[in-house]
Amino acid sequence: MRETGDLSRDADEAVRLVSGLLRRGESGEAFRERVRTETWTASESGLLAPALSEESGTAVRIRRDGALLLVARSGAGPESLREAVREAARRAGSAPFFKAHRAAPAAPAPSRAEPPEEEERRTAALAAALARAFSDPRGMTATVEVSRVVTERTVVTPRALLPCGSRTRLVAAGTIRRSGSERPFSFQSARPFGEAAEALAAALRAAARPVPALPPAPGPVDVVFSPQAASVFWHEVVGHPLEADAGDRGSVLSRVKGAAVAPAGLEVVDDPGRADLPGAYAVDDEGALGRAVPLLSGGVVTGLLADRRSGGVETNGHGRTPSFRRPPRPRMANLVANAGDATLDELLARCGDGVFVRDVAHGAADPESGRFVLFVSEADAVRKGRRGAPLAPFALAGEILSALASVDETWGNEVLPATGLSLCVKGGDAVCVGGAAAALLVRGLVARTARR
Amino acid sequence: MTHAGDEGLFERVLDGAAADGAGAELFERRGALLELTEDEEGSTLLETRERGFALRLFKAGRSAFAASGAERAAHLPAEARRRLPRARARRGVRLPAPGPGESAEGRALVDPTPPDADLARTLLTGFRQALTAAGRGTVSVREAAVSLGERTERLATSAGRDAAWSSRLATLVATVIGRSPAGRFSARVVGAAARPEELPVARLARHAADRVLLPLQGRPFTASRADVLLDPLVGAHLVGRLAPLFFGDEEEALLAARTREGRDALAAPLVSLVDDATASGGVVRGVRDGEGTPRGRTTVVDKGLPSGRLTDVAAAGRLSAASTGNAVRLAWSAPPRVGSTNFFIDPSPGVSPLDLLAGVGRGLYAAVLLERPEIDLAADRFRLVVAGFAVERGRATERVSEAEVSGRLSEFLRGVAGIGDDLRFVLGGTGSAGAPTLLVPRWRVG
Repeated sequence: MRETGDLSRDADEAVRLVSGLLRRGESGEAFRERVRTETWTASESGLLAPALSEESGTAVRIRRDGALLLVARSGAGPESLREAVREAARRAGSAPFFKAHRAAPAAPAPSRAEPPEEEERRTAALAAALARAFSDPRGMTATVEVSRVVTERTVVTPRALLPCGSRTRLVAAGTIRRSGSERPFSFQSARPFGEAAEALAAALRAAARPVPALPPAPGPVDVVFSPQAASVFWHEVVGHPLEADAGDRGSVLSRVKGAAVAPAGLEVVDDPGRADLPGAYAVDDEGALGRAVPLLSGGVVTGLLADRRSGGVETNGHGRTPSFRRPPRPRMANLVANAGDATLDELLARCGDGVFVRDVAHGAADPESGRFVLFVSEADAVRKGRRGAPLAPFALAGEILSALASVDETWGNEVLPATGLSLCVKGGDAVCVGGAAAALLVRGLVARTARR
Repeated sequence: MTHAGDEGLFERVLDGAAADGAGAELFERRGALLELTEDEEGSTLLETRERGFALRLFKAGRSAFAASGAERAAHLPAEARRRLPRARARRGVRLPAPGPGESAEGRALVDPTPPDADLARTLLTGFRQALTAAGRGTVSVREAAVSLGERTERLATSAGRDAAWSSRLATLVATVIGRSPAGRFSARVVGAAARPEELPVARLARHAADRVLLPLQGRPFTASRADVLLDPLVGAHLVGRLAPLFFGDEEEALLAARTREGRDALAAPLVSLVDDATASGGVVRGVRDGEGTPRGRTTVVDKGLPSGRLTDVAAAGRLSAASTGNAVRLAWSAPPRVGSTNFFIDPSPGVSPLDLLAGVGRGLYAAVLLERPEIDLAADRFRLVVAGFAVERGRATERVSEAEVSGRLSEFLRGVAGIGDDLRFVLGGTGSAGAPTLLVPRWRVG
């Protein structure tokens, strides 16, 4: 099976088809995707053989006056594009240009067959990493699906064919049980396979540790977030409310654009150009250049993440889709917060009594009401400014504007990439996201018990 | 979706795969989906056609899987064969063979019928109107989407099984906003049915209005112990999470622990848990599973006692039984695995929810879920965050904005003292999950 295919071999014909499809007042593009997935089932007793799949698809999108038509077909070749264009033209009520323009058949796709040893090498590397992760599997059961996903995308606009590039990710999801308790596990890395497998092993080792018994007392609590956990906080509290599909009046933050909501000096930017983070891309899934968008500048709400369909805002290259079947929506890429000047010890000292959140399993936000909740998977108690005993998983709830106003005026001096952020699911659509942030002290969040 | 040169592709791939003494199973799925979304920006119409093939090869206890679209399907035998010698598989994996009296149908697949955009529009309009009525003008739709899908599927094996079948699914997903002097609240609700005409549009609208208005208009529940009535749409989410306990032999140890090696019941004698692909109101209605095995009804808990397992061919082999037809393919590109179809608590005929309500002295009617339920089967714990109504002497007295129903899952199941006749289903797990109204007296509520 090919490692990835060439989605650009019929570039001229594809551009001609797309430009011929669109009428005055319409915009649109074609989108091609090929995804190759190797999936291993991993348990504490080893790896089962990889399942292989290769999916490819083509979508044609036409936008007019706030309406979007998307026609998707299996296959990423010229025939699929012609079929999608034909159906899109029929549904849009236009005469497809290509009827009068039969192009020469495209050259066959070049063969890029991967040597079989490569896959065997990956299997061996993964098996070795898992053996290290589960070196003492007594009393534990694990069921985790590990996938290496290679995604290649191309956008065909009426003017040009824009390759979005090829991305390789190692993704894992499943459950780990130990000592009568079950923990969900998820992981993602865009690093080279060997490094990603090692990082996966480390994450599995951490997840397999016994879970502490006691959560913090329910009620208001001051929270120091580790840099990794702070990324999830920013993602839920600033990122989602400033995605343009919440509508102009749709979120508690977009309703106060231009207002100071957080400490002066705080900068939060969504940057698709951070190639070291999993959400990176040069061109978004609508063919727009991915631009860094400041969402909070000096603590002031300044921006919105927009796609081509966002009303009243021009795209800033944040139209993203989980697959060719789904329409793009304004989504985050890599949410990055700036460094402050405090050390972690200084933040713990300022906290006094509270909790130190090492990792957040997942979170959710309702941009409309401003409520959010973070499900904390790893945390320690903080007593008199020092880290104490580990805590059982719990939930932290809050209200977005109050939480931002309660961010301490000084924050961490070291920005680190998030490990907990991987796939962001919104409206059922999952896209890869990244984040980087510094440690952070937020006062007065509400701790609740949570079983996972 | 069928291109020139595709005729006989299925047979060619299967023939190519069955060489070299390996058993071969080839699966083909064709799908047509239409989705209409209306939001504040305008409308989106998606029209998708797909076609995919999945091949499994079996030899000497090993199994290799490869899947692709039609354009690469001819290469699948070589891809699977290359990996077969080193493939490790779960014990019991074997080629699905025809059951007694099962004959090969051997018919080529046809493309599914393209769904109707006008029908989707009508359903959306109906939902908006029902929501306006249910919310009395205080609830609006931010986004609503109706999707109508149809699939045709075929599975053939070198052992002689050859079957084709079709299925449909309709869903309505909406994000609604409630407004009151207390603030604004939004929520996402999902309704599903096996046929578009069965979509519970009006019921979903009422549920959506409750989902956003109760947290705004009610007060937190104060009693620490109360009779709990779970609405079917709340109970169904809880029930759906129990299904993995009965997947093959995977949870034998956990089931044994919960029942103290069979000495205790798993649930109250009133409770029977069933998986039934033909259940009325169930979202799944395919006649065969992902390995081509005919589907049926399996009772996994009979009057509180474990009585069966859900199996695919491999799990059935390990349990020395016949497959119950519970192999599911979540996507054509993924291997089949054990899963549920329509998994539910059997309703009690003739017991209406009002009958159950009448028996409540002081309690909580949990009408909607406010958060994803937290259920830990291994730890035997659960936590539901709900909104609903306080109940005094059989009558709803006031709205409840938030309450937490939590505790030991096994105790909760053994504490069920009343089951209604109003079975409802929600999408959940690998299919749908269902429950009637459930009454559990004297439960901890926070």
